[in-house]
Order: sequence, then structure tokens, then C-alpha cells
Amino acid sequence: MMNTFNILRPLAWRNLWRNPRRTGITLIVVVVGLWSVLTFSALLGAWAASSRDEALGLLIGQGQIHAAGYMDDPNIDHLMPPASPELTAVLNGDMVENWVERLEVPAVVQSEYKTLPITILGVDPAGELEISTLPSKIVAGRYLTSLDDDGVIIGLNLAKRLKTELGRRVILMSLGSDGYLAQQSFDVVGIFDADQSFEDNNVFTGRSLAQHYLGLEDEISQIAFTVPLDENLPMVMEQITAAAPDLDSREWRKLSVMLAAMDTSMGSIIYVWLGIMIVMISIGIINTQLMAVFERTQEFGLMRALGLKPKMVLILVTFESTLLIGVGVLLAVVLALMTVYALSDGIDLSAFAQALEEFQQAQVLYPTVNTSDFIIFPLIIWLLGILVALWPAYRAQKVSPVEAMRNAT
Amino acid sequence: MQPDTAKNPIVTCRNVEKTFGKGDLAVHALRGINLEIMAGDFATLAGPSGSGKTTLLNMIGALDHPTKGEVIIEGKALSGLSKAQLSDLRLHKIGFIFQAYNLIPVFSALENVEFVLQLQQVPKVERRERAITALTEVGLAGMENRRPGAMSGGQQQRVAVARALVSKPSIVLADEPTANLDSKTTAELMALMSKLNSELGITFVIGTHDPRVMQHSKRHIEMIDGKIESDIRS
Ligand SMILES: Nc1ncnc2c1ncn2[C@@H]1O[C@H](COP(=O)(O)OP(=O)(O)O)[C@@H](O)[C@H]1O
Ligand SMILES: [Mg+2]
Repeated sequence: MMNTFNILRPLAWRNLWRNPRRTGITLIVVVVGLWSVLTFSALLGAWAASSRDEALGLLIGQGQIHAAGYMDDPNIDHLMPPASPELTAVLNGDMVENWVERLEVPAVVQSEYKTLPITILGVDPAGELEISTLPSKIVAGRYLTSLDDDGVIIGLNLAKRLKTELGRRVILMSLGSDGYLAQQSFDVVGIFDADQSFEDNNVFTGRSLAQHYLGLEDEISQIAFTVPLDENLPMVMEQITAAAPDLDSREWRKLSVMLAAMDTSMGSIIYVWLGIMIVMISIGIINTQLMAVFERTQEFGLMRALGLKPKMVLILVTFESTLLIGVGVLLAVVLALMTVYALSDGIDLSAFAQALEEFQQAQVLYPTVNTSDFIIFPLIIWLLGILVALWPAYRAQKVSPVEAMRNAT
Repeated sequence: MQPDTAKNPIVTCRNVEKTFGKGDLAVHALRGINLEIMAGDFATLAGPSGSGKTTLLNMIGALDHPTKGEVIIEGKALSGLSKAQLSDLRLHKIGFIFQAYNLIPVFSALENVEFVLQLQQVPKVERRERAITALTEVGLAGMENRRPGAMSGGQQQRVAVARALVSKPSIVLADEPTANLDSKTTAELMALMSKLNSELGITFVIGTHDPRVMQHSKRHIEMIDGKIESDIRS
């Protein structure tokens, strides 16, 4: 076996560079195909991460705690007391960055022109400044200043639909703790700009004020928290569940089906692309290698006549493909690394800001190298490339030694 | 020379027939060949184009199977040998010189000669030494590192001769070795092969219709229509 390798190695290597045009074509096919897969996957990864971070940063956090039953029926009957000392201890631990307590209840908002269903969020402005990006999205007026702030913050689109504006008053109505309708008028003190459905659905005010208006004491409906390292999340969830077994604790994947689905569908898109590229690369390899084998019929005949066994011819041609595809794969990886590195300062998407409004999308993407992608995808391409190249190699093995005599008359 | 190789033929063909194709399209390239090639022969295989010279050389060289009959090389019948076994047999027993495309293009002259020794698993140092000696023998000292593309037709044929010799085969087969050569080069190549035959006792069978080749012949076999018409030793 070692002898076989020693005999075939120089032959295979030199044969690679014999037909620069064909080698070039095969290399280009492999390099472009794999490069596109790697670069595309880095970009999609960045896109998915940024839209996820954007959405989570706005309100969700990496996880939330609710009273049991609230998620199925989010109303004033499913509230909970503020965090217990045990829970507070967990939330103040190292792995959790920040946490806030919110009151969230369904309501309607009314202007002179219109009444629309919304959700009231009674928040702690000081805590929200630490945990949420919403305060930075105020485009007119101000953010809330205290737990007792009696102004409301509404979204741009909601303001438009209500035909109201900064400084005008709106009325919030919802079911109070006593079972009667609670209503109160509020000054619009700030307007925020997020994605449209978020703008339409959420109205913010001070938490204590909201509790008071609804006839509550200190009940809340959710605790949201941030965990910077995703790998810590399962352990945090475990600790929280242990500290508050009666509460409903969920990580973001179980809070936002949409985001979780997006996370996995980004993965599927890249596999679809990988599949297309594999087909393209396979066709390229089979084509060029079959042509190469066909052109070298007499040479294989000669080698067979000289005493090379059929198996050795198979190994030789496979070896040549292995080297050729290997060179292509290496080039593609280097190129993709360079591309991602060149883009790692951020890709500015602000030119498409209008279109991105639909998604919860940041305007700058930061592609990074995902090590496992950069190992697995090249390996897949290389191995499958070798596999399809077995066919041309098999054809070469079939060449009869009689071919060596062929052009004798 | 060992006594038994002197009396036993190196190659024996018994009623060898070869038919290409089937039915109406069948071409009977060989129609019952009986032939013994003896050690030390310097035989030319002549005959008009299409008479079956190449096909017969393919049989003798274990490159192809007869349709009927038996080819025996040094007492070993070829029928029933696998492709791999036939490869081994060619590697060790038979040297080839073809009309053209004799050499592996990406190898230098030396590497081409060394290649068969490498297949025979001859150790590196010995391999190199024997290859250089063989190239010197055929008058190519100093050309060891040239690739086929950088050599004349005559030089390429000499490399092929060196390669055919270096593996110490029982027999060297050449099919139209001079077809692409000019008269001077042909004369030189034939002189070389004759010398190797007379001085080293190497057995040659040369398929040709070139009179310049036949004049060196010690045994002249004439083929017509897939049969041996005459077989004369001189
Ligand atoms: N592979 C083949 N398929 C069909 N016919 C063949 C094949 N090889 C040789 N022949 C035919 O066999 C006959 C003998 O050919 P060949 O041995 O090449 O003759 P020569 O070498 O004497 O010119 C010719 O008629 C040729 O056309
Ligand atoms: Mg012929």
C-alpha cells in the first residue's frame, strides 16, 4: 500500500497541472461553490443573530418568568408577586446580566378618532434602560422617567392610526382587578420607532402607576432577564425553575416561536444552498474528470500494458481528484476566511432601512467565522467530490491494455 | 544461458483464434495461429495492413484474450488468469515498445525507466542505478531528466527500449517501432535492438511492414489474413 502511494503520488500531482485549463475550470467550480456556501452561511448567520438580538433586545430578553397560566391566557387574573428572595438571588447571580419586572395586561387605547386593542406595559424605566433597546428608539418626546410616570409611550404607527401625536391625550381601558372596567387618560410623552407590529401592539407607562390604575398592589405579570452567553442559558433556566417551581419560566426559543423558527430556517436555507452547490460541483467534476480520462485512454492503456493493475489505475485517478478537489477546497476556505474577515467590521444595511422595517433587523451586520461550518462544509464538499470522481476513475480502470497498441497500423 | 530456456519456448500459441464482433460483422483477425517463440529469437512479424500482426502481438503480450486456443508464456497458460495476474505477468516477463505514445508524459526519461522497476518493488538505490545503466546502454546518457515532450521520436523510442530492457523481461515485443522514424534513426534503433539481442541474448518479436526492419531479422514470420503464411529462420 505504501509502495502504491509512493508510485502514484508524483504521478497524480504532476497530472494535476498538465491541463491547466481543465484544472482551472474544476478549481473555479469547487472554489466558487464552496466559497459561496461559506460566505453565505456567515452572512445568514450574522443576519439571524442580529435580527434575533434585535428582537430579544427590544423586550423579550433571553428568557421570561410568568405566573402559571399567563402564557395561555394573558390577563389580570394570572399575575404574580414580585420576585421572591430565592428568585432574586438567582437573578442577581453571575450568569444573568440584568432583569426587570413588568406588568403586562391587554387593553384598548382610545383617541378622538379611534379605539384600538393594545397591550399595556407598566415598566420600571431605570431597569428598562439597562435591559431594553426601546429607550433608544424614542423618535419624539422622551422615555419614561419613573415608576410613577403618568405619561405613555406609543409607537409611530399606532400614533398614526389613532391620528394622535406628542402632547395629546389618549384613554387606556382595561379590566381592573375588581372585575370592572378601569380607565384613565394619559399624556403621550414619547413616540418610539420599532417594527410595525411592535409599534401597533405596545403602549408603555410607569409600572406603579399602571398597578394603581388597575387597582393592584405590587403584582406583576412578567420578569424578563438577559443572559449574555447562550450556553449559560440552560443552567440559568434550571436554577430559576428550582427557585420558583410554581412559576412558568421560559427561554426565548419557547417565548417566540417566530424567532426560534427563524433560527432553524436560516440553517435550512444554507443546507439548500449547499445542496445546489454540491450538484453544481458534482456535475463540474464528473464532466472535467470524465473528459480527462477519455483523453488519456492511451496513457492508461500504456500503464496497464506496463503492468499497472486496474485497481492502481482507479487509485491513481481518485488520488488525482482528491488532490484537485482538495486544492480547490483549501483555496475556497482561504478566500471565504478573507471575505468574512474583510466584512467583519460590519455591513451597513441602512440603505435598505425601509425594507428592513418589516423585519426586526439591525442596520449593520457583523459576519463571523463559524468554526464548525468552516470545517464541516469543506469536508462535505471534499468527500462528496471524491465520491463522484469515483465514476471517472472507474472508467479509467476499465481501459484495456490493448489501447496501448491502438494507433499501431 | 540456462539449458531449459534454450529448448523450451518462451511463448507458445496453440490454435489461437481471435474474432472481433459477432454475426455478419465478425472480423476474424486471427484464424488458428500455431507459433513458438524461442529464447534468443529476433523475429519480425510481417504482413499487409490488417493481416493480424498487432492482434497477434496483443496475444503474445498477454494484453488480450484469444477467442479460441491457448497462449502459454514460460509454461503458464494465460486463460483463467485474472486481470491483476496478467498485469503481474506483463510486469515481470514482457517488455513493450509501441509505435507511439510509449512514455508517460509527466515523467522524465529516467522516471519512465524507473517506473517499471518501482512497480516491481526494486529498492530505490538499485532502481536508480539500473535505470541509468539502461539509458546509457541505449545511448541516452545525459538525457535522464528530459521529459518526452522535449525529446525526438528516436530518443523516445530509445527510452522505451531502455524501459523494456531494464525490467529483465523474457521477451520484448515491439509493434511498428520505426513507423514514425526517419531512415537514419530507424537504422540506429534497429542496430541497437540487434546488438541487445546478439550481446545480451534478449528475445525480440517485432511487428512491422518496414523492409529496413526486416533486414535485421533472424526469423521472418509472414502473416496474411490472420494466418501464418511462412516462418523462416535465417
Ligand atoms: N478492436 C477491434 N475491433 C474490431 N476489429 C478489430 C479490432 N482490432 C483489430 N481489428 C481488425 O482485425 C484485423 C487485424 O487487425 P490488426 O491486428 O491491427 O492488423 P495489422 O496490425 O496487421 O495491421 C483488421 O481487419 C482489423 O480491422
Ligand atoms: Mg498493426
